[in-house]
Amino acid sequence: MLKLVVCIKQVPMVSELPWDPKTGNLQRDLAEGMMNPACRSALDAALRIKEAVGGEITAITMGPPMAEEVLREAIALGADRGVLLTDRKMAGADTSVTSHVLARAIEKNCPGFDLVLCGLATSDSETAQVGPQLAEELDIPGVTYVDELEIRDRTVRMQRIADYFLETLEMDLPGLVTVMAGRHAPRYVPLGGLQAAFAEADIVSLDAAAIGIDPERIGAKGSATKILNVFSPTEGKENIVLTGAPKRIVEQLFERFDDRIGSALGRDLKTDKRSS
Amino acid sequence: MDLNPCMKHKAVRKAVRMFAEAEIAPIAHDIDRDARFPWEIVEKMKPLHFFGLQAPEDYGGAGMDTISYAIAIEEISRVSGAMGLCLTVHNGVAVYPIVRFGTEEQKNRLLPAMTRGDRIGAFCLTESNAGSDAGGVETTAIRDGKEYVINGTKIFVTNGGVCGVALIFALTDPQNPQRSAGVFIVEKESPGFSVGEKEDLCGMRANPVSSLVLDDCRVPETNLLGRSGNGIKIALETLDTGRIGIAAQALGLAQAAFEDSVRYAKERQQFKKPLSSFQSIQNYLADMATEIDAGRLLLYRACALKDAGRPFGAEAAMAKLYCSALATRVTNTAVQIHGGYGYSKEYGVERYFRDAKVTEIYEGTSEIQRLVISRAVLAQRT
Repeated sequence: MLKLVVCIKQVPMVSELPWDPKTGNLQRDLAEGMMNPACRSALDAALRIKEAVGGEITAITMGPPMAEEVLREAIALGADRGVLLTDRKMAGADTSVTSHVLARAIEKNCPGFDLVLCGLATSDSETAQVGPQLAEELDIPGVTYVDELEIRDRTVRMQRIADYFLETLEMDLPGLVTVMAGRHAPRYVPLGGLQAAFAEADIVSLDAAAIGIDPERIGAKGSATKILNVFSPTEGKENIVLTGAPKRIVEQLFERFDDRIGSALGRDLKTDKRSS
Repeated sequence: MDLNPCMKHKAVRKAVRMFAEAEIAPIAHDIDRDARFPWEIVEKMKPLHFFGLQAPEDYGGAGMDTISYAIAIEEISRVSGAMGLCLTVHNGVAVYPIVRFGTEEQKNRLLPAMTRGDRIGAFCLTESNAGSDAGGVETTAIRDGKEYVINGTKIFVTNGGVCGVALIFALTDPQNPQRSAGVFIVEKESPGFSVGEKEDLCGMRANPVSSLVLDDCRVPETNLLGRSGNGIKIALETLDTGRIGIAAQALGLAQAAFEDSVRYAKERQQFKKPLSSFQSIQNYLADMATEIDAGRLLLYRACALKDAGRPFGAEAAMAKLYCSALATRVTNTAVQIHGGYGYSKEYGVERYFRDAKVTEIYEGTSEIQRLVISRAVLAQRT
C-alpha cells in the first residue's frame, strides 16, 4: 500500500499577531491556530491520491501541544494517523532544524514511505524552505510549486507552476513535493469525522528523546539563523495633489515615482537621465 | 471547573465557521430578501452531517455532544438565522424525539434519510387555539383498524414548506385531552397531508414557515411515536432540548450583531474620531460583550448537564430565556450603533434585529420559560 506522509503546520489564525517583542518570536499560545492553507492543499492532494489508488496517510506536525488540533482535523478529513513532535527543546527552530527534526521523525515513524507532501509555504513565515530542505535531509528527490499530481506505478507525474509556465514532470518514488494552495476548493471538515477524530483516533506524541535526536541540534540552540526583528507594518494611504504647469507636474511625478515608473517600463530612468 | 473550551469544541467552531462563512454568508442577505429556502446549501451541508448532528452514528449521524451541537447552531446562525433555525428544528425537535422515543423499526425506517438531509423534519404543536397551552390542541388522530386518521391544521410550522417528515401532536380521544395526546409521524406522501399557506413573517424569512393541513390523513399505527398517551411527555422533553438549540441560535445572532458593531465602531468617523472613541459607544459594546458571555455560559452549562445525563430542563429554560432576550437587546443596540445605516438593508444588523425577536417567542415564549424556571425554583426546599 502506498505510504503517504503529509507535513502540516499549525499557523495563527488572525492577521494581527501577538509577537514577543523581546525575542521576535510569535507568541503562539496567544493566537488561535489553524491548519496552514498550503498544508491543507497538500493534505487534499494526498486524499485525492488515496481516493484514486488507495494508500495510508500519516499527518505529521512539529509544534506546541495545541498543534494536536490540526492532526485531529487532518484525521477528520481522511488521514489515517497523526504524529505530533512536541518538546520545549524544539521551540524556536529555524527551517533547517525543523527539516532535520521532521526527517528523523519520518524515518523513525514512517519507514518505507513513498511520498512526502508539504505545503509550498506557510502563511506565518512564507519561507518555502522546509520542503526542499526536508528532501535533502531524507536524501530523496523533491519538486516544488506542484499544482496537480497523479501516481502511476512507482512514479508521480505532476504539473508544476514555474512563473508563467506550466511544467509537467515525472519523479520516481520515494520523493517529496511541495503543493501550492488554491488549485481545489478546500474540503470542509465533516462533523461526524471530527467527533470520531477526537473520540477515537490516537495521536502519537514524540519528544526529542523519543525521536532519538541530538538535543544540541534542535530548537533555537541548534538553529543557525535567528529572527532579529519582526513587526507588523502599517498600511497608509495618502492623497497627493500635484500643482503647477503640466511640465512641472510631470517632473514632480518622475521625482516621486521614477522607481515605479521605471520598473513598469523595464528601464532604469536614473541611468537614462544620466546618459542623456 | 474549566471554563475554557476544549480543543474539540474549538475545532468544531472553526470547522462550522469556515463552512458558514464561505458558503452561506455570501447569500444570507439575498435568501432573506427573496424569502427563498436555499436547497443548494442543504446539498452542501448533507455530506458534512449537519442533518444528523447529535444522532448516533448507527443511524448516519455525527454523534456530537450537546456543547458541540450548540456551537454548530451558533455558528450557522451567526451568518444566517433562518438556516440555523432549519437545522435546530430538524435536529433538535424532529430527529431527537425519534432517537429518544422511537421504536427500533421507526428509527431504522426514518432516521437514515433524515440524518442524510434527504428528509427535513418539522415538529408541529401550535394551532390557532393552542401554543403555550399544549392542552388546547384540537387536532385528532382517531384509530381506524390498523391506521390512525388525523384531522386538523398546524400553524407556524418551521421547515413546514420543505419538510419530508412532520411530527404531529394530536389527540386520540378529544374527550380526554390530557391522557390521549400522542405524537404521530406523518410523511409528506401520506394521503391527506398538504402544506398550507407560507407565513409572511418579520424575520427568519428564508425559512418556509407554513401551516400544515391534515385532512383525513391516514398513517399506519406504526407511525405513533412511543406509546399512545405519552404525547405531553414527549413534547415537554423535546422542547427542553429544543430550547438549547434556540438559545444557541439567539446567541449566534447576537454574536454577529456584536462583531459587526465593533467593526463599524472602529471604522465609522464622527466629529473626526471613530465611533469607538466615544464613551457612549464603548458602554454599548461592553454591555453587549458581557451579556453574550453570560448567555454563552448559561447555555453551555445546560448542554453539559444534558451530556452528563442530569436534569437540565430549568437550566435550558434559563439559557433560552436569557439568550433570546439578550439577542433582542444586542441586535437592537447594534442597529443603534450603526445609526441610519443600521436601519438600512445595506447592513446585516437590520436582518439580525428582525431575526432575533422571534427567539423570545417560539419553542416556548419567555413567559413560559419563566413558568418552567419558577416551578423548579419553588420545588426546592427552602
